[in-house]
Amino acid sequence: MSARTGARRVGPLVAAIVALLLFFRFVLGVEIFLSPRNLINLMEQISVDAILAFGMTLTILIGGIDLSVGRVTALTGTVTVYWLARNGDAPESAVELATALIVGLGAAAIVGSVNGTLAAKSRMPPFIITLAMLMVTRGLALSFNEARPIPVPRPEAAFLAIGNYQILDLVPIPVVVMLAVFFAMVVILHATRFGQHLYAIGGNREAARFAGIATERHEIIVYVLCSTLAGVAGIIQASQLNAAVPAAGEGLELNAIAAAVVGGTSFTGGVGTMHGTLLGAIIIGILNKGLNQAGVHFSLQYLVKGLVILAAVYLDVWRRK
Amino acid sequence: MNVTPPSRATGSGEAPLVELRGVVKRFGSVLALAGVDFHLRRGEVHALLGENGAGKSTLIKVLAGIHAPDEGEIWINGHRTAIRSVADAGRWGIRVIHQELSLVPGLSIAENIYLGVEPHRWGLVRRRAMRADAARLVERLGIDELQEVDLPVERLGVAHRQLVEIAKALSQEARVLILDEPTSSLSEVETEALFSTLRRLRAAGAGLIYISHRLEEIERIADRITVLRDGASVGTRAAAGVDRRELVRWMVDRDIGDVFHRPAPASADVALEARSLRSAAVHGVSFCIRRGEILGIAGLVGSGRSSLARALFGVERLEEGQVFAGGKSVQLRSPRDALAAGIVLVPEDRRRDGLVLIESVAFNIALPWTRRWCRGVWPSRSRRREIVDRTVQSFRIGGADAEACVATLSGGNQQKGLVGRWMEEAPRVLILDEPTRGVDVGAREEMFRIIIALAGSGMAVILISSDLNEVVGLSHRVLLYRDGAIDGEVLPGATSLEAIMARLTGAGGRGS
Repeated sequence: MSARTGARRVGPLVAAIVALLLFFRFVLGVEIFLSPRNLINLMEQISVDAILAFGMTLTILIGGIDLSVGRVTALTGTVTVYWLARNGDAPESAVELATALIVGLGAAAIVGSVNGTLAAKSRMPPFIITLAMLMVTRGLALSFNEARPIPVPRPEAAFLAIGNYQILDLVPIPVVVMLAVFFAMVVILHATRFGQHLYAIGGNREAARFAGIATERHEIIVYVLCSTLAGVAGIIQASQLNAAVPAAGEGLELNAIAAAVVGGTSFTGGVGTMHGTLLGAIIIGILNKGLNQAGVHFSLQYLVKGLVILAAVYLDVWRRK
Repeated sequence: MNVTPPSRATGSGEAPLVELRGVVKRFGSVLALAGVDFHLRRGEVHALLGENGAGKSTLIKVLAGIHAPDEGEIWINGHRTAIRSVADAGRWGIRVIHQELSLVPGLSIAENIYLGVEPHRWGLVRRRAMRADAARLVERLGIDELQEVDLPVERLGVAHRQLVEIAKALSQEARVLILDEPTSSLSEVETEALFSTLRRLRAAGAGLIYISHRLEEIERIADRITVLRDGASVGTRAAAGVDRRELVRWMVDRDIGDVFHRPAPASADVALEARSLRSAAVHGVSFCIRRGEILGIAGLVGSGRSSLARALFGVERLEEGQVFAGGKSVQLRSPRDALAAGIVLVPEDRRRDGLVLIESVAFNIALPWTRRWCRGVWPSRSRRREIVDRTVQSFRIGGADAEACVATLSGGNQQKGLVGRWMEEAPRVLILDEPTRGVDVGAREEMFRIIIALAGSGMAVILISSDLNEVVGLSHRVLLYRDGAIDGEVLPGATSLEAIMARLTGAGGRGS
């Protein structure tokens, strides 16, 4: 258990969510009250961003960042679908699907291990490393199928189910995956030695090293985790679109950073929680949904979201003084 | 607040440079200053003494314009005034040399000295003028170590950075100079150089407020002494002929026993042996330490003592040489290797290398032992609590709840925590690098007792300190360390401090 318990963070975040809902309801006349159906809808919309944000939280928590995640989603989707499409219209098999997923996630993990190894062993800043890897990854993804979308081959109903099937006609698989990732990350960050060590590394890397923590190994694992989660998001995305789009993923890293930061993760490192990030993603999701339903022009939407992020982080910094 | 009569006549007949009357400062419910009276004359060094938490830092911050007092009056040159900001303090000529260094590592010595007050013309920095000014200033202050004013500060050691800090404070007119533990990282020679600078300033009519835990320094430099206890001034007296023990009693309000005593050296198994260690900063070091022995390493700042400690802890790479721990050859590539070999280091700079300052006391104490309380998936709060409670109790870490932020603890308690947390599994070798730096008198004496007790339990202790008294007083043997190598060994009592100092500085030759 970290001393930075999330408890203090949850209050203001929940208050912000309630305020937003009331604002949309009574000022703009938009209904996003949390009926089960609406809530599930919202969760589905934020699932990709949230999965990316969970990984991003880890990197920011240890004083780093991963700018490559958006392009990793595209690379993973492309590699996975490319692997499936290899056999043309041959009948689908569970083994084939599993292999494709492993290959796709493997590609993501490789990008993550390059990020992590460079961050841990070289003295280059993670911002630069992952910015460069963003470009490398994008280049790799675009090298498939002359950068054109690759449709998911017809018989792969199982793959398409990942993004589109709803359990009991109610809960979409992406929401289930997102919640599973969330609970797994809560355990990893808030219950294990590994998580405890991440807070120490983010708070003071030297002190962590002097306490006998293998800081480099932890750092590499964090980047591999972050990238692999981006791979999971990429698979969901490709399945939802019925196709892999090599040029996809632009700007997703920024959404992930925004969710983590609104959720209370500090850029100086050592401060942040998984539930904070989930609430951060929900806040941004409500904003998106509400502004859309209110028919606000997208240019104004960006403006409002930017100001909300500034306000959230300002309040956080001000409160900590 | 009452209207007060004009200031009382002081000894010299003129108004004091600075006078505080009944200054009170509260932080929430905590009374940091409970009515302090203090006056500073022109041309005096006025020592401010007190245990950590007695209110010295708060008092300085009031004078520096960082905290506004809640009650009381501040008079400067006979004018009642308020110091509302740091800039205000600067206008009165009040300069503070803080304990925490405030330099920009990437900038040169000259750039740091003139940071924010760069000489300029038409908006452009006049670099040549700035360098010339800096060189002149350094020469005037007699700080030869800083002659290369273009050197980036990050290439300087802690002691030299401290000197840059002092040069920076003195680059502008200083009527009142406040020094907070200025010598904590200085060697004897550097301390003397600083003192001669301070004496010159005193002769020029400046008033100096000097804070230090080292009573012998205060005897050397101070004219008058004011003691603070629990946020109030206990009294002021002339420094000449003051009795050290009485002073300590005044500060802590209890008699403390004789600090230095030496248990008989143990003859036992070899705990650690180093053979011709070499690294970037260590040039062929061999030594051996037995269980229960306290081995002192005396050396000037810059002699590379800390590099030896860091190499033994696997933080700095060893290029050559062998280390045997408990008779077995060990590879020390990381602190993890060192810990596995039973070697523990309490680092010189506890804020940089020791503590996760944004976390709690308990977090920091339990950090090396996560494998004990995070068995399996879910961590055990009760096992963690046991570890923390054991350390807090056996090392008497007082002052705060274990869940409070570690930054709120005094330096002494932080240091005790850093030593104590390793005792969960008694290490073979405990390396202490400047264990009493920035630690108050009471805690310092407590640290000595801890060191003696740990050695008494069979632990081998390597003690590194700039304070020669401390090393010689506590150790069974003392290695003289110079330029990354051992330059001889002395037995305490057999050689005078002056002779040791002469050898360390290279003034005495080797023949003695």
